[in-house]
Amino acid sequence: MRLFSSHARATLVLIAAVGIAGACREQSAVPPASTDTKASENALVISRHDDRVFAGGLMPPAERVVNTEAHNPKAAEEGAALFTSMNCDGCHGGGAVGAVGPNLTDGRWRYGGADADIFRSIAEGRPKGMPSFGGALQPAMIWRLVAYIKSLPPPKDAPTEAW
Amino acid sequence: MSLHCSSAVLALSLALLAAPPPALAQRASDGDWTMPSKDYSASRFSGLAQITPATVKSLHPVWTFSTGTLGGHEGQPLVVNNTMYVVTPYPNVLYAFDLAKDGYPLKWKYRPPVDPNSLGIACCDAVNRGAVYADGKIVYNLLDGHTVAIDAATGKELWKTKIADLAQGETTPMAPFIVKNRVLVGASGGEFGILGWVKGLDLATGKIAWTATNIGPDSLVLAKAGTFKTFYDKGAQLGQTTWPADTWKHGGAPVWGWMSYDPELDLVYYGVGNPGPYNADQRMGDNKWTASVLARHPEDGSLVWAYQFTPHDSWDFDAAAEMVLVDLTVKGKQRKALVHFDKNGFAYTMDRATGEVLLAEPYVHVNWASKIDLATGRPVLNDAKATGASKGNVKDICPTLEGGKSPASPVAYSPVTKLFYASTNSMCMDYAAVQTAHLAGTPFMGINSPYHASDPNMGAFIAWDASTGKRAWEIKEKFPVWSGSLATRGNVVFYGTLDGWFKAANATTGAVLWRFKVGSGVVGDPITFTGADGKQYVAIYAGIGGDWLLLSGDYKSDDPADVRDPADFARDLARHTSQGGIVWIFAL
Repeated sequence: MRLFSSHARATLVLIAAVGIAGACREQSAVPPASTDTKASENALVISRHDDRVFAGGLMPPAERVVNTEAHNPKAAEEGAALFTSMNCDGCHGGGAVGAVGPNLTDGRWRYGGADADIFRSIAEGRPKGMPSFGGALQPAMIWRLVAYIKSLPPPKDAPTEAW
Repeated sequence: MSLHCSSAVLALSLALLAAPPPALAQRASDGDWTMPSKDYSASRFSGLAQITPATVKSLHPVWTFSTGTLGGHEGQPLVVNNTMYVVTPYPNVLYAFDLAKDGYPLKWKYRPPVDPNSLGIACCDAVNRGAVYADGKIVYNLLDGHTVAIDAATGKELWKTKIADLAQGETTPMAPFIVKNRVLVGASGGEFGILGWVKGLDLATGKIAWTATNIGPDSLVLAKAGTFKTFYDKGAQLGQTTWPADTWKHGGAPVWGWMSYDPELDLVYYGVGNPGPYNADQRMGDNKWTASVLARHPEDGSLVWAYQFTPHDSWDFDAAAEMVLVDLTVKGKQRKALVHFDKNGFAYTMDRATGEVLLAEPYVHVNWASKIDLATGRPVLNDAKATGASKGNVKDICPTLEGGKSPASPVAYSPVTKLFYASTNSMCMDYAAVQTAHLAGTPFMGINSPYHASDPNMGAFIAWDASTGKRAWEIKEKFPVWSGSLATRGNVVFYGTLDGWFKAANATTGAVLWRFKVGSGVVGDPITFTGADGKQYVAIYAGIGGDWLLLSGDYKSDDPADVRDPADFARDLARHTSQGGIVWIFAL
């Protein structure tokens, strides 16, 4: 526990120091993640999340998990550009077909495939190395990434070879 | 397993009574396998000779162990004082097995905490390339940037040092190298825009004694006036002036292969990986000392000489592969040589005191350069194969960025045949680079580079004469060959294949004498040792992975939420193998 909370503190310092891409402006109304060590030590899940957040950033409060880009016809196209420029393709492969990170086009999801699930994966990160982009991208940009990923059609059947 | 404790004790006692001192000396040097590459010269040659072309047919498995992990099983076990030490891929559990007892029971295991984030920051699977033994300690790296020293007898952790920073994209799959009181370690992250380095730790305490970067100003590279001298390059600050502005600060230069050491010259040799990003337009210049060999004094890390195999590397041609130190006759002259099979497809025979290239010949099909100019030390480039975002999609570059030989597949050298034994790949690639931005802890690449076969047989196991730069023989394989090599005084060489065969061949002729299906593709390195019963044993890891996690597509077995198409260039590989680590021990 002590290890996690010290990492969480380091992460907060990082967020304060980096302030990437002006993303913090929109979230400035959001209270910062608890600096109350008692709270973080009591809630393993929360501190684990904080520990994973090495790109910096804070999760928007629950009421903000609404797809603000649902009616943007260009969302997927803009998301595709972000998928390259944010180096998502470096881990998930060009076209998101999988490399060191999993395939995102197979219609199967470790952490859920609903729009809000994918949003959380990008914003918060996941435990096996998926960084948190919540501090680097505004929510609208994350929704465009969600739109791009959901636009990649899963195959009708899981690939199977017969010999 | 027919070995019984009582007979083992008896055999050992008889051996001790009967063996003359030279045999004891041989047992000390060849009975054990105490460092990854077997010896300081990185020969992977053993003087053991019970297994010969005549006897190898009766080789059979005597013991197996499931590591319970699915990551690529690169590297090799160690054998020290009748104990076998096995490090698994992430989560890097260290097992000690008692080879003096029936069934080789577990003595102890050491199970460290390892940050799972390292799984997503390591470029190419959760591999570990092994441990090293010295001074009663087993020393190895955890994937998440720590070096640990474990008491070889008890399994107790003696020290643990943080050497690398995951947040910067650094991970640590390489095997440490120990010279006297120094533990030398480096970091991976050529795909994450790290500022690559090597560190020298104190063996007794784990304290970091020095850090030397591979790129950047002389003060960081530890290139001191009067000590540092290159054979071809003139001028100071070469690690800085060969980069635009401060691009060297995210220029890659990882270290992830196996090191070697010449005690007379007091020089440690290691290969440096690729420059970042893969889009070469973002880093015009030679980008020294990426894709290079560096020679340093181990005590203080000072750089003595350096040579760059691939200036302005535009193809991800890491030079991370081992530098094997042998004395050879080249062009009629006896030389203290260094032999290196580079990813770029050329095999180099160099003077290890000065860094002069004595000869460099292609060991696979190469088309990005026509030759290495020995007067300048530089490749003669084929301009049509130069890459960068401005060049668009450059087609059919040979070899691929996996290398004519992967640095993950170390060669062996036999002083009996005077030949090198290497696992090779016959593939070519297209290379489409794009502009990319550095975001710490995320990939810094900018590349799409699909592969295709350049030969119906995509791999071969070859014997190479480094005195002349010519192949002596080859064994063709359907798939690329990704295992390390082992050479023995018995004149048998060993290697494994991606479709899961472990093979023995005649070192002189290349005739395959024996093979056994080990359950998963082989990307590990064979070793040999003398058991408590005085018999010669051979050990190998099975467990496909490493780059093949990224390349082969449909073989993953652990994640139902990650289903992939087979790779176009090897659509049926998953017909022959799936993941899973197994340690095998064979005997006559």
